[in-house]
Amino acid sequence: MSAVLSPPAAPPVRPAAARKRSKRLNPGRVGLYAFLLVAALFFAAPLYIMLVTSFKGMDEIRLGHLFALPQHFTTDAWHAAWSEVCTGVSCEGVRVGFWNSVAIVVPSTVLPILVGALNGYALSFWKPRGANLLFAVLMAGAFIPVQVLIYPLVKATAALGLFSSLPGIVLIHLIFSMPVMTLLFRNYYASIPQELFKAARVDGGGFWRIFVQLMLPMSTPMLIVAAIMQVTGVWNDYVLGLVFAGSEHLPMTVQLNNVINTTTGERLYNVNMAATILTSLVPLLVYFVSGRWFVRGIAAGAVKG
Amino acid sequence: MSTRAASLLRKLVPWGALLPMALVVLVGYLGTALWTLRVSLSSSRTFPNDDFVGLAQYERLFDNERWLLSLQNLAVYGVLFIVACIAIGFLLAVFIDQKVRCEGLLRTIFLYPYAMSFVATGLVWQWVLNPGDGLQQAVRQMGFESFTFDWIVDQDKVIYTVVIASVWQASGLVMALMLAGLRGVDEEIWKAARLDGIPPWRVYLSIVLPMMGSTVATVFVLLFTGVVKVFDAVVSMTQGGPGTASDVPAKFIMDHLFGRANLSLASAGSMVLLAMVLAVVALLAPVLYARSRRGSVGGHA
Amino acid sequence: MKRALLLRCVAALLAGATSVLAWAQAPVPKPDLAKAEIIHWWTSGGESAAVKTLADAYRAAGGQWVDMAVALGEQARAVAINRIVGGNPPTAAQFNTSKQFLDIVDQGMLNAMDEVAQRDGWDKFLPETVLNVVKVKGHYYAVPVSIHMPTWIWYSKAAFKQAGIAAEPKNMDELFAALDKLKAAGLVPLAHGGQSWQDNTVFTMVLTNLGGREMYLKVLRDRDRNVILSDAFKNVLLTFKRLQGYVDKGSPGRNWNDATAMLITGKAGVQVMGDWAKGEFTQAGQVAGREYGCIAGFGPAAPYIIQGDVFVFPKTKNASAIKSQQLLASVITAPATQVAFAVRKGSIPIRTDVDTSKLDACAQQGVAIMKDKSRHLGNGEIYLSPDQNGALADILTAYWNRNIPVEKVQKDIAAALR
Repeated sequence: MSAVLSPPAAPPVRPAAARKRSKRLNPGRVGLYAFLLVAALFFAAPLYIMLVTSFKGMDEIRLGHLFALPQHFTTDAWHAAWSEVCTGVSCEGVRVGFWNSVAIVVPSTVLPILVGALNGYALSFWKPRGANLLFAVLMAGAFIPVQVLIYPLVKATAALGLFSSLPGIVLIHLIFSMPVMTLLFRNYYASIPQELFKAARVDGGGFWRIFVQLMLPMSTPMLIVAAIMQVTGVWNDYVLGLVFAGSEHLPMTVQLNNVINTTTGERLYNVNMAATILTSLVPLLVYFVSGRWFVRGIAAGAVKG
Repeated sequence: MSTRAASLLRKLVPWGALLPMALVVLVGYLGTALWTLRVSLSSSRTFPNDDFVGLAQYERLFDNERWLLSLQNLAVYGVLFIVACIAIGFLLAVFIDQKVRCEGLLRTIFLYPYAMSFVATGLVWQWVLNPGDGLQQAVRQMGFESFTFDWIVDQDKVIYTVVIASVWQASGLVMALMLAGLRGVDEEIWKAARLDGIPPWRVYLSIVLPMMGSTVATVFVLLFTGVVKVFDAVVSMTQGGPGTASDVPAKFIMDHLFGRANLSLASAGSMVLLAMVLAVVALLAPVLYARSRRGSVGGHA
Repeated sequence: MKRALLLRCVAALLAGATSVLAWAQAPVPKPDLAKAEIIHWWTSGGESAAVKTLADAYRAAGGQWVDMAVALGEQARAVAINRIVGGNPPTAAQFNTSKQFLDIVDQGMLNAMDEVAQRDGWDKFLPETVLNVVKVKGHYYAVPVSIHMPTWIWYSKAAFKQAGIAAEPKNMDELFAALDKLKAAGLVPLAHGGQSWQDNTVFTMVLTNLGGREMYLKVLRDRDRNVILSDAFKNVLLTFKRLQGYVDKGSPGRNWNDATAMLITGKAGVQVMGDWAKGEFTQAGQVAGREYGCIAGFGPAAPYIIQGDVFVFPKTKNASAIKSQQLLASVITAPATQVAFAVRKGSIPIRTDVDTSKLDACAQQGVAIMKDKSRHLGNGEIYLSPDQNGALADILTAYWNRNIPVEKVQKDIAAALR
């Protein structure tokens, strides 16, 4: 089989070491770091406040000194948030839903990404008749607030026997993330030259072969970005998990919301902050780990005529 | 198998692969959208009602000061949010692309807001922007007695505070997308530009940015969907207040859907919102389409 | 070719596995005797302790309590309704003492508790206002769990001392005098969270104490246009707006807890809030009558606003589920359960024939007032549909925050409540 169908062996990444390193501290460089520092401060400020609040006792918090460091540093709020805070009759903190969230997030990330990549690939390269119209309607659907669609979807999933179940919530996540996933990959594949695809077809590659052996491996940056978006979106999802997952599979966000939100109950802000940070650790881990894939470039540059 | 049948089968394969998408669109979106349209023409409360009241709900909608204000807010919020996110996201991506130290740390700092539930972070922003205990107070205590930053309690300026918090939350993702797009730009372009002696910022603006057309198009659509559905930010920061000054259509719709048990009014609101989105998209489609085409043509010298 | 074949097999396997899983996960009717799944929105510390008393009482009676807590009333009710529609209903679901559940009654989605009501004699001990809500078309569709009063006037004794206010205000004029004194002393006179429902609470307080029982019912129950456009009602609105001048600049959007915190730390003098505010005071170690005071209303005939929570029972033909529902309904209204719940929740029991010694001073005041039937008055949501109530709240909160001529406000209210 021709070499085109297998992804180029050594993609000319823009290796960090090869680029000229201008170590000189010229004004441009200083300005660069200054901008990044200011931006980092702006972005980090709320996290600072959340951390500082989570290590204070409620008495200190009531005094309202937002930016002050804790006078009586305490980790009680973290303990409470993880395993003691009340979320109803049970007072076991937010850890209760952790594995449920994992059970929901894994299939709800893998499946939509694969389907989105497949859709994007089919739309970008094969362009079947009428598919673009379908895509346009799909994108239009992305603008309708989710809650409005819940009632008809409850009836639909109930009719399928999937209401209040794990496959049910995965299906719902698939439905709601399809527009964005398809968009991501369609536009990404649009920037890959048609010549590559044509050459692969000339070489005798079929629909699935080209997808699995050529396009998917080339999509790494977009797969990472899609994974980031999907993991975050599904992990932090509240309403859909609450309605469709069934009481045995309630995600962690339900406990988190029970901790933070209340109409007439007391609010323990330090516990709320700790709980929020705890729940966001999983997406954060994904971001951190995905870092190294941001360095590689697509292999399109390798194919030159 | 005859070649004609084989080629027919081959033509059907892409359609077969797109079958899940087709189903989702038809049932999940088209079906439910049509259902919503039907409900908006009735007088449903908690449950859908079979009656038909014509455009009465739409009349009531446009008679409602709160709804009109929410549309206005959405327009202001939408423009500011999208422009700011794209600008800041692009700048951050470009600057991080410059081989800075601690790139990983910086990238995480810019991305973490996106990971956190807005329910809590929105509250933090409310505290920070509160004139009594937040930023204004802190700066005044540092000595600047006349520093004022009370937008969040100002009827006209409160929507800008929602923009600030939302940009804080979303710019990181825009940066990530832009970075992915940037890093896909051919090394040859850089070499050629350097040989021609073009300053880097010029390269970015006049050569690279146009080449990232499809990335920018993706970012724009993503941000646009976020704008239309903005809800959490408003609820956790201002509750739509002061009064109803920072109300947005999604909150109006949600309030009427759940709290006020007025399914038909909420549905009418959703339909109006959808119609406006389609109008905007119809206007912008040629531009977006051209950009994404250019992205695929110009990318590879 | 082989790989494509492999891919197709995997796809088929996945599809098959998913459908088997789906079938296996189909909701099964609960077979256990007296097992009850209850959807409610009591999630924070104090509320959790309160709902535990219900769970404990139910367990002691032989039942099994399966908890499904969902924060925020609107969200919890939406989940309950969606579950009923989806065919996987809970055994019981929390609603407010209001018109919220009338639609599901109309759809025939609830079981009636007539047997339990007759047996336990609900007609005898439930206040008429509450009875009229739970009894729909002659059947008892909800069991009342608690009664809250949303318009208590709380004050910080430390702040009053600092401002030189010797005695509790006894009428609206004295209230304004006290607020002026607080302002002069450099304190925040009225601690307020500028959220729509809180603005509504303050308005209800003014309407009750200044307008009186007659006007209240004419406006909110009868929706009498003439009364709404009258000068007397105009005066109520103007007094409401006048109170806005006594809140601090940072009040918009503030959570009610943060406003109570201002009383706790002595930074503010007065707050108009429901009896659940006691939870915040207790958290901070403060005691009613010692660090803070509570005023139910001005004058010995001041109406006591009734708002509260009920449980409804989604329709089911499953005999053991029905037994669970009936057991739950009976346990909840029992005097011992009522007192235990009220102590933790800060509410008052739904019946006055209970031992009030364990309740705090303010709650005891409340129960004493409830014994006088002429002082019972329902909250707005008892008389108005959720939509009308919401529309009224929109108008009031806009008036509170902006300078709108009061005549326009009157016209808007008349139109909204038509």
